[in-house]
Amino acid sequence: MNKNETLKYALPLIVAIVIVSSMILLGLASQNPDGFEWSLFDVAGAEEPTGGFEGIWAFLGDGVFIEAITGILGILAILLIGYGVFWLTSRKTK
Amino acid sequence: MHVPDGIFPLWLQILMYIISGIMLVLSVKMINKKFDDKLVPYMGVLAAVIFAAQLINFPVPPSSGHLVGSTLLAVMLGPWGGMLIIALVLFVQALSGDGGLLTYGLNFFNMGIFSCLVGWALALVLFKGLKRFTDEKRSVVVATAIASYVVTVLAAFVLGIELFTTTEYGIALVPITAIHAIIGIGEAILTFVILLYFVKAKPQVISFLKESEVSEMARVPVVPLPIQQVGE
Repeated sequence: MNKNETLKYALPLIVAIVIVSSMILLGLASQNPDGFEWSLFDVAGAEEPTGGFEGIWAFLGDGVFIEAITGILGILAILLIGYGVFWLTSRKTK
Repeated sequence: MHVPDGIFPLWLQILMYIISGIMLVLSVKMINKKFDDKLVPYMGVLAAVIFAAQLINFPVPPSSGHLVGSTLLAVMLGPWGGMLIIALVLFVQALSGDGGLLTYGLNFFNMGIFSCLVGWALALVLFKGLKRFTDEKRSVVVATAIASYVVTVLAAFVLGIELFTTTEYGIALVPITAIHAIIGIGEAILTFVILLYFVKAKPQVISFLKESEVSEMARVPVVPLPIQQVGE
């Protein structure tokens, strides 16, 4: 893969990380419930389930910095997992 | 559209896990047939971009929405590749507490299996229709954006139908479909922008353009056929 190719692959990833972290840090992401939560908990009046698994980052607590850092860690984790899974499942060329 | 644990009955969650397992095995087999390891970096980057895009909710008062990206992935990689990426994204999200672990199968069915297959089929039909009037690159971007909108609404409708398996939440069918009719506009716009980037930067890797001469994915290894000698 030459330099231009690498840049074409890396650019969207870098842009994604910059956009995500700046939107989270600047508080630009919407805090409203998503479509499912709004319909079920706000409109249908269902009780939000509590006490379930809150995620592996739950021990870090809340806050925009934590959210940004765990977001970036997630992006890097999925990059590695995606790379690994597709490397294992794809047809090997010499 | 990430459903947490504790809402759906256990039998539905088990059923969805079984369906998801079968479809995942199928997608791995199809990927092994269709993709070679040269495209591995591209797959990893796409998974990361979709994961990142799903982190940011855009406002749709009184609710909010985010990109799902199933149709986008299905058009770029084919439905099987798209499905596998959505499976990975949902897995990491479930570990992070976004969407339940028990409802992983159900979430994967709605956002992965259903959305990738229907999105791919719908986009393909639209793409073939639009190709008659304009060039392939424009057709694929417009067809995918329209299909992603329709699929967002349909997937929400399916989730609303699934809610009838609970004792009292079936009444959420109308609001969940209605709000996704607005959220779908955001999905279509984001799909349009992301696909436009890839169409301009690297059209060779978009599966819908595989029949055109620019595609790398369509490259079939040329195996010289043994020439039969006359009189053999």
